[in-house]
Amino acid sequence: MRAGLIASLAGHSVILVWGLIALPDAESFSVPQVESLPVDLIPVEEFTQLRLGERTAEIRDVAALQPSETEAEEPPQPADKPGESNVQQPTPPTPSPAPTPAPEPEPVPVAEPEPATEPEPAPAPEPVPAETAEPAPAPEPEPQQEAAPEPQPIVTSATPKSKPKPPQRAPEPPKDDFDSTQIAALLNKVEPAEQEGNASQQDAALGSRQGAQNVRMSQSELDALRGQVAQCWNPPVGAVGAEDLKVRVRFNLSQNGEVAGSPEVLNSNGNPAFGAASSSAVRAVMRCQPYSLPIAKYEAWQEVIINFDPREMLGG
Amino acid sequence: METLVQSTLAAPEGDISFFSLFWQAHIVVKIVMVGLLAASVWCWAIIVDKVLLMGRTRRQMSRFETVFWSGQSLEELYGTLHNRVNHSMAALFVAAMREWKRSHEGAKPAIGSLQQRIDRVMDVTIQREAERLESRLLILATVGSAAPFIGLFGTVWGIMTAFQAIAASESTNLAVVAPGIAEALFATALGLLAAIPAVIAYNKFASDVGKAVARMEGFADEFSAILSRQIDERG
Repeated sequence: MRAGLIASLAGHSVILVWGLIALPDAESFSVPQVESLPVDLIPVEEFTQLRLGERTAEIRDVAALQPSETEAEEPPQPADKPGESNVQQPTPPTPSPAPTPAPEPEPVPVAEPEPATEPEPAPAPEPVPAETAEPAPAPEPEPQQEAAPEPQPIVTSATPKSKPKPPQRAPEPPKDDFDSTQIAALLNKVEPAEQEGNASQQDAALGSRQGAQNVRMSQSELDALRGQVAQCWNPPVGAVGAEDLKVRVRFNLSQNGEVAGSPEVLNSNGNPAFGAASSSAVRAVMRCQPYSLPIAKYEAWQEVIINFDPREMLGG
Repeated sequence: METLVQSTLAAPEGDISFFSLFWQAHIVVKIVMVGLLAASVWCWAIIVDKVLLMGRTRRQMSRFETVFWSGQSLEELYGTLHNRVNHSMAALFVAAMREWKRSHEGAKPAIGSLQQRIDRVMDVTIQREAERLESRLLILATVGSAAPFIGLFGTVWGIMTAFQAIAASESTNLAVVAPGIAEALFATALGLLAAIPAVIAYNKFASDVGKAVARMEGFADEFSAILSRQIDERG
């Protein structure tokens, strides 16, 4: 036994020493302090609504947004592709550059002639040129504020531009790449959809799988539909634990308000009375058709999911 | 606990060498690590010991068998063996022969149940030999099954430390979490390090002991048959 113990001890110490010698200290890793990024949580509705809507209203909004966004803008980067951005950014350069760049078209021949000649055609595909002129003044000051915070420097910055500052001109367009004017340009391509001014809270119970963001049911319409179904519903009153018999039903509606296909029960429950509850819910859906819903929003109510909750439906 | 959190925070640069891992660990984890290391040392001591013992036993049995079946007379063999310390088959042989001799010593030989006595004596000897071979194998089995859990305990403790570090610094930065995690995993590694050889060795030695005992039983049966023939011839 002693031999074994000695051998074992020797073996272990050899391995330990070997580990100390052969395995160098692991590289200490220093993790760079990551600055915390402020993140805004925006409901997706807001985002989709931002993209849709009427053309005129949109542009005004963008112009209003612009200052706030450009304030936080990143430092100007060297222009990789000035020509590319130029197509979409006629608006910022147009008003002010127009006077100055006119003298020297040399530095950026592609970029400058366009705005100088005429502001209207430059925006090419995009938004109402007449209105772009309005936002333009607003964004204008900012680019120059980078160079010098004051409005007065406009003159000074204009003068250097005349000769040696082609690079300085260049930085501006890329920065505008991220500018919201570009978003406006994109947005305005979208056909003006029917706008829903009164932002109705989306109800969790009623909705469609189609994700028709541009058409949304108003709360009153949803309530109307729900009320209509509730009238036809005979909830399972007598069952044990009837309050818990929530039934989630999905069904498709045709354009004339009739149920297409058969409703589908989405959830299940251990309650023995659940079968009765679910069939009563399905029956309610079938009995109440046709539903009168605004045909214009058919996309939104083409597929409907209703929660049959005895507590809510019964007003309890 | 506070001091521990402080220390992990003080050295956010995770130093993951052997000894720093140990020294940074919480006292509980240290105890676990030391215990596991000791278990490993002890296990290996047993393993070395058993390897030697098994080899020796096997060799002795082979040698005895060759001698026994070489045609040498049993009396002579007993004469050479009986005043030595014998193991395994030699011990069996000596025990049986001693019983035989004693039964014939007196004026009135007790031969009636001699066969049974010899069998019983050999059984007892086999048991004793098996016990000698099996001794401390249970430690291997225990370490093999318990060491991973002990290591896991250290791991859980280390993870708790890591979480406390997170709570104290309010950051999930890798540098904050890493020392605790590394220390935790180190404990598990030690547990496995102790357990794996122990389990393997236990299985091997258990089967070795079984084989040796079977061999001794076979010899005992054969020898018992020889003696029984002798008894009947004399009786």
